[in-house]
Amino acid sequence: MTGQPTPPRAALVLLAAGSGSRTGHSTNKVFLSLAGRRVFVWTLDATAADPGIGPVVLVVRADEVDAAHAVLAREAPGRDVRVVVGGASRHASEWSAVQALLPMIEQGEVDVVVVHDAARPLSGPTLFRQIVEAARAHGGAVPGRRQSVLLDRAGLSVRDGEAVGVQTPQAFVAPVLVEAYRAAAQAGFEGSDTAASVERFAPDVTIQNVPGTSTNIKITYAEDLFLAEALLARVSFDLRRLGTASSGGGG
Amino acid sequence: MEQEYAELTCTACGRTVEHELRHVGRLLATTTCTACGHVVEVAPRSMVPAYLHDLEHRVTSKPQRMVRRARRDPARFVRELPGALLRQPAKLTAELWALVRGR
Repeated sequence: MTGQPTPPRAALVLLAAGSGSRTGHSTNKVFLSLAGRRVFVWTLDATAADPGIGPVVLVVRADEVDAAHAVLAREAPGRDVRVVVGGASRHASEWSAVQALLPMIEQGEVDVVVVHDAARPLSGPTLFRQIVEAARAHGGAVPGRRQSVLLDRAGLSVRDGEAVGVQTPQAFVAPVLVEAYRAAAQAGFEGSDTAASVERFAPDVTIQNVPGTSTNIKITYAEDLFLAEALLARVSFDLRRLGTASSGGGG
Repeated sequence: MEQEYAELTCTACGRTVEHELRHVGRLLATTTCTACGHVVEVAPRSMVPAYLHDLEHRVTSKPQRMVRRARRDPARFVRELPGALLRQPAKLTAELWALVRGR
């Protein structure tokens, strides 16, 4: 025993509750099989070797808690993952996760909270590392990719200006995030993503843009599953070999 | 062929509805929108190289996965191993057959 305190680590919040209502025998898309693993497990894999990322909170629907535990036992044994039930919205799910992390944040064991959409299985370890480092340095960090053109909806004409497509993981210094979510709860505010609450209730905090990657796709369309599978096969199922931000390409 | 259902957005009808997903081995072979019937599929011939690549990965990672299962529940592992071994030839044959006949 050296008696030296353990340095604080980042906590990962993995949002897997989704939205809307599923009917019949439909599976939550983050529980789908993607090249032999469930979609959300690829994110656990991407962060497993990073000593700077510690506790994980997996947010699921109430009726998927047992399924989540079964997948974790089978595909991520030994990983420190706490399963919590999410709310009716993304914001509510994030707040549930932050509350689950409160004791660790208050004891100084967790200094940064990384919030990630479990439907983005290909973020890769490099992006997670960059996001955590940027959040520690600036207060908050969000990955984004410049969109080359914007289209007006009516005539599909090209509109001037630049837009950034925001991705996850998004990371924030933990006390800032807690205070922002407490203020949001008091105000009855529901942000569309994590950054929205911080921007509104902690306006002095700098949210640094970290270049996102072209492979950091969100499983939305049926075609996305084929694409994700092909991208994984191209790197021999090793997420460390996925494109980094600098090699991600444009658009 | 493995079959499961999930809510995804259809590029044809634009609705977020249940899709039927069919796999060959671990690879996704077709998706079908249950609302409009739009099918997305990989042509069987072009799936063969991907299948072989995936099969290679499955075989090489098998020992590691077996060790993990044995550690997790040794009694269950020993109990289920003979059956799992016996099922493999039929499982692989079914996968190859699905590729050959185009699902």
